[in-house]
Amino acid sequence: MQELATVAFYLGFFAYSAAATLFFVDLARRDPAAATGGPGSLSRWAPLALGIGAGLHATHVVTASLLTHVCPVESLHFALSLSALIAATAYLALRKRFRLHAIGAFVAPVALTFLVGAQYVGAGSGTAANLPRTLLALHITANLLGVGLFLLAGAAGGFYLVQERRLKEKKLGGLTAKLPPLDALDSTEHRLLLAGFPLLTFGIVSGAVFASSLGHSSVSELLRAALGYATWILVASVLVMRALAGWRGRRSAYGTIAGALCVLVVIVLYAVRAGAGPVP
Amino acid sequence: MIVVVGLSHRTAPIDVRERLALPSDAIAGFLSELLAGRVVAEALLLSTCNRVEVVAAGPGGAAAELEPIARAAFGQLRARAPDAASHLYTHSGAEGVKHLFRVAASLDSLVLGEPQILGQLKDAFELAKTAGSVGPVLHRVLPRALRTAKRVRSETAIGTGQVSVPSVAVELARQIFGDLRGRTALLIGSGAMAESVALLIGGAGAKIEVMGRSLERAEKLAREVGGTALGFDALDSVLARADVVISSTSAPGFVVGHDAVLRGRRSRKGRSLFFIDLAVPRDIDPRVGEIEGVFVYNIDDFERQVADTLSGRHREAQRAEQIVLEQVLGWERWTEAAQATPTIVALRTRLRAVLDNELERSMRGRLKHLGAVEREALEAMLDAALNKMLHTATVRLRDAALERSGLDVDRLERLTQAVSELFALDHELDLEELEAAASEDQPDPASDPVPAVPAGVRAIR
Repeated sequence: MQELATVAFYLGFFAYSAAATLFFVDLARRDPAAATGGPGSLSRWAPLALGIGAGLHATHVVTASLLTHVCPVESLHFALSLSALIAATAYLALRKRFRLHAIGAFVAPVALTFLVGAQYVGAGSGTAANLPRTLLALHITANLLGVGLFLLAGAAGGFYLVQERRLKEKKLGGLTAKLPPLDALDSTEHRLLLAGFPLLTFGIVSGAVFASSLGHSSVSELLRAALGYATWILVASVLVMRALAGWRGRRSAYGTIAGALCVLVVIVLYAVRAGAGPVP
Repeated sequence: MIVVVGLSHRTAPIDVRERLALPSDAIAGFLSELLAGRVVAEALLLSTCNRVEVVAAGPGGAAAELEPIARAAFGQLRARAPDAASHLYTHSGAEGVKHLFRVAASLDSLVLGEPQILGQLKDAFELAKTAGSVGPVLHRVLPRALRTAKRVRSETAIGTGQVSVPSVAVELARQIFGDLRGRTALLIGSGAMAESVALLIGGAGAKIEVMGRSLERAEKLAREVGGTALGFDALDSVLARADVVISSTSAPGFVVGHDAVLRGRRSRKGRSLFFIDLAVPRDIDPRVGEIEGVFVYNIDDFERQVADTLSGRHREAQRAEQIVLEQVLGWERWTEAAQATPTIVALRTRLRAVLDNELERSMRGRLKHLGAVEREALEAMLDAALNKMLHTATVRLRDAALERSGLDVDRLERLTQAVSELFALDHELDLEELEAAASEDQPDPASDPVPAVPAGVRAIR
């Protein structure tokens, strides 16, 4: 099984690398069909490579967790890896419907970075003994799904700002000519926020319960909690303002990107904390 | 070798082109008439609104055939439209191939890089195949032309961007909204370009609403573009629900002001709004473009975009020409090397026939105890030996063919003549005569106790 985990890791690495290269080649190519990744596009293989990479990534996570007897959601090592896997899977699910081909140029390198980067983070498995395991697993699973979805939403928001700027400034050539339609980026970002928000809420509430039961809090934990609340407030504000005040487009994109950045900082804080111990 | 005879938008005005153009159901008749003269062995006719061209080849593929073929094609086209004769051009041999490749790659099109020509050429090829006028030459040159066109499209940006104001406008609408189905487009005023944009957007699935100073005129226009008519007093309410506004009035001032768009913004709930202002003087207050989620493009913006696309295509055309040149050179090398092929094939066939005959005799005589497996092994051995024996001869004949364009133009002829004479390739193979002659040359078998059997066969035995 160890061989399977290692082979899946290396093959996943190559598949993600190939996908990232193909997505960038597609952006740089002169063929108009490349914008959609459609039948005329040479790089219609890019999503396939990403899909294969995601499959191998999942195989690696499952086999490695079986080998180490660590539930994937109970280790930061796996958790980081899983959040990127979720982002890649969500992208593949939404790509065709919302014509998001170009976002693959963000998703594939992120998945590759997280797959490789997770190897260098302390394995830190095991949970705090006095916390209920089931609730803890649910807390981490919800957070991971939320992270994956918010990262993708942040990417959609970023792409929206680039696309909106080029259309406003009437600079229509260059690499940006192949970005997805403005409305598709906006509605994708909205849907991902809607899907991620309940997960984030559950993660925040359960995290608060755990924090109170553990009693003591370090500066890093307090900062993580504060960033978690900030993300929740940002995402909630964006969703409320969209519904009530018709906030769309640029303002919504800024809010979403800010939320995604908070999520990224939380991940970094998890990653750099000493020994990368128990996850909550 | 091929000949291209025809006319195009470069050499003939539209009235001449339309007299010469043939509908697709008349092309088979034209081609069979052309082939009936026996000078032309293969032909296809490309008939589009911008060009009518015959691509033809002779039965032998020789350069000497090209002139009569050109005359035959020219004569047939002139018979169809006598006044077109002065507009016709002829491209023969390598020039003909280059012209065909350039046409396929859309380098000779009225709108540089337009994609339709490739489909039209494919259709012409299919029609010719159906008419039975395609032979070995066109079967090779046409697929190569289509491959050249595909290479040009994938390796250069000659096909990117839009080259007309309406198509740029619709492309921009797609970049904002993606799918235009279910969207609402408002057409204010009239004008050919605005109507074209409305028709294109309507064709993409958007609902069209037409507004004019007079409801009567708006209704007439609405019927033409397949939309519904509205009075001008409905402007504010339509601005609140429209996704695209196409404006082309002759009003002296702004028809849509900054405040009108701001008023509709609240009920729009942040939805994007795209103004296509085709009027001069402008209909849309330029300050409208500063509002978030609102995009305003005027006629200058569209024309700048068209000019950028066209100049980009012209830059790319230089790279495309280079690809065409490479492909033509590749074709020339291939056809030159192919000139040695008949001699190589004839030599191989001749030698193989002799070897087969010997094998057959041996299998009936001394080797009759061998089974099917051993026979197969013997045949494989003969093949391998023949390949090795002919390798140098094949390479030298091909080299001689490729050198034809160089200094030693007669080398291929000398070699093919020598091979032909030495192996009597121009005569039917008479195996009995060959055997009789060979037995006279053979030493007396009694004086040679070791049978003349190859080492490989002994090993099998």
